[in-house]
Amino acid sequence: VAHSQNSMEFPVNINTTQITTAYGHRALPKLKEELQSEDLQTRQKALMALCDLMHDPECIYKAMSIGCMENLKVLLKDSNSMVRIKTTEVLFITASHSVGAQEIISKGLISPLVWKLQVEREEEFQELILDTLVLCLREDATEALGSNVVLVLKQKLLSVNENIRSKAAHALLNVSISREGKKQVCKFDVIPILVHLLKDPVEHVKSNAAGALMFATVITEGKYAALEAQAISPLLELLHSPMTVARLNATKALTMLAEAPEGRKVLQVHVPTFRAMEVESHEKPQVAEALQRAARIAVSVIEFKP
Amino acid sequence: MTSALTDGTSRAPSTYTYTSRPRALPCQRSRYRDSLTQPDEEPMRYGNIMYDRRVIRGNTYALQTGPLLFDFDLEVKPVLEVLVGKIIEQSLLEVMEEEELANLRASQREYEELRNSERAEVQRLEEQERRHREEKERRKKQQWEIVHKHNETSQKIAARAFAQRYLADLLPSVFGSLRDSGYFYDPIERDIEIGFLPWLMNEVEKTMEYSMVGRIVLDMLIRDVVEKRLYMYEHKEETHRSPEPEDEPGGPGAVTESLEASEFPEHSMSQTQGLLLDGDYVQRTTYDRRSSQERKLMEETELVEQDEESAMRKSLEEEDLS
Repeated sequence: VAHSQNSMEFPVNINTTQITTAYGHRALPKLKEELQSEDLQTRQKALMALCDLMHDPECIYKAMSIGCMENLKVLLKDSNSMVRIKTTEVLFITASHSVGAQEIISKGLISPLVWKLQVEREEEFQELILDTLVLCLREDATEALGSNVVLVLKQKLLSVNENIRSKAAHALLNVSISREGKKQVCKFDVIPILVHLLKDPVEHVKSNAAGALMFATVITEGKYAALEAQAISPLLELLHSPMTVARLNATKALTMLAEAPEGRKVLQVHVPTFRAMEVESHEKPQVAEALQRAARIAVSVIEFKP
Repeated sequence: MTSALTDGTSRAPSTYTYTSRPRALPCQRSRYRDSLTQPDEEPMRYGNIMYDRRVIRGNTYALQTGPLLFDFDLEVKPVLEVLVGKIIEQSLLEVMEEEELANLRASQREYEELRNSERAEVQRLEEQERRHREEKERRKKQQWEIVHKHNETSQKIAARAFAQRYLADLLPSVFGSLRDSGYFYDPIERDIEIGFLPWLMNEVEKTMEYSMVGRIVLDMLIRDVVEKRLYMYEHKEETHRSPEPEDEPGGPGAVTESLEASEFPEHSMSQTQGLLLDGDYVQRTTYDRRSSQERKLMEETELVEQDEESAMRKSLEEEDLS
């Protein structure tokens, strides 16, 4: 029987998985306190609520300013795996915003993440961590390089799960943007594996591998390592791939390789392919322009005479 | 009382639509609890609209027992519409938000890809620039080193040439100065110079001394003889002058000859020698009265004169030779 009188009990909790959040600007501080509680259930529920709240960028900013990162850092080492997974998910969401990514890096959460990547067995967990790493490495790779992220990623490149492979390749792409990253990639012989991945059946794995190669071959060592690993032919095949990003990456990678005399010799035969690319169009004008420009640069580099 | 149960449309200043914000309804029931002593149920003061008999609802087949309040079915429609509308609108917003988010992510990804490719291009150009620069630096350094070496070598060559020329002059001058200082000598020549010539000079000197001594002695002799003859002559003039004519030609002749001899020692030496010898012979034969000392002296002078003669001859020969 529904009574119109106010009952003396608390209102019914619709969502038992989540803790009830306070109203207005008290929500986050209260959640922060609950994250530190001793009770496991409270923590889990608080995490779920935080996860939902984090979709709002303003919320993220606010959370960062009140210092939720410290709590999350502690929770990463929690004994319960559910807590850890949820924490990582929260981190992933925060990392997709630049403020969040910077915060993660400045609080030094990358090393625990890299370590986690090695330790955790569940594939979805690994995918989450890899996603977070991809986003964070875009900002700043120095700390990650210090914690041997290249080696860890190298292992993941050979995993069975295609998502893990593709995300690991993407992470390597972001790592090798910095000069130090490139050197480490060459030092640890990751390039042959990347070239091998170019022949992978899955498209996005190929495109990410091409992207990683594109950055790694900027330095001379990378160029020669790629040439030795016979990277040119898979990259040429990739030029006809349906994915735009794959074509773009492959074009750029071939441009890098064409700077070396040996690469130039081989690629001189394939100049017509690039010329065909120059005139092709795409529905989005920026993308089409980018592709055309890349093809033009490739042709000019191949035909360069000292 | 519960008669004020009518819905809010009658008392609301504005219409209640689905866009209006939720409003707290004014209190529609008694504020204070009923005293439980009141058993009166007829006027249901906290009546739920569902149980109020005066409201007609679709599913009540009850007879109309009292005065009608309102028709539930009619009244519920707008309320329901608002409710459902709000719910649907809310869910639509959420779905659209998510879609927008997904679109955002997709465009972000695309942008990132383009940006990555641009970045790669920038890095490639940077790398190229760096390589060129390093190559240029290396070449410059090489060139500089070549020029430097070139300079050094030419300097070395110049120094060597100069030193050679300097030293080339040095050698003959050294030898010349050494030779001039007399450090190079022919040993035989030196030997002759050192050994023979002084000895020769010594001997010549000795011989000359001998001859000088001899002449001096001869001079002394002659003086003695002359004095004695003078003395004898002076004596003999006093006593008798018998042996005089034999003596005189020989004596004065000998005297004059010896005088001549003493006067012209060198040039007419051989003549005087001969004359002297004759003179001596004459003297010996005629004047046996002379003391043996005189005779010895005469012999000695003969010998000396002979030696002198030979020495003079030698010196003459040497003069001829030289």
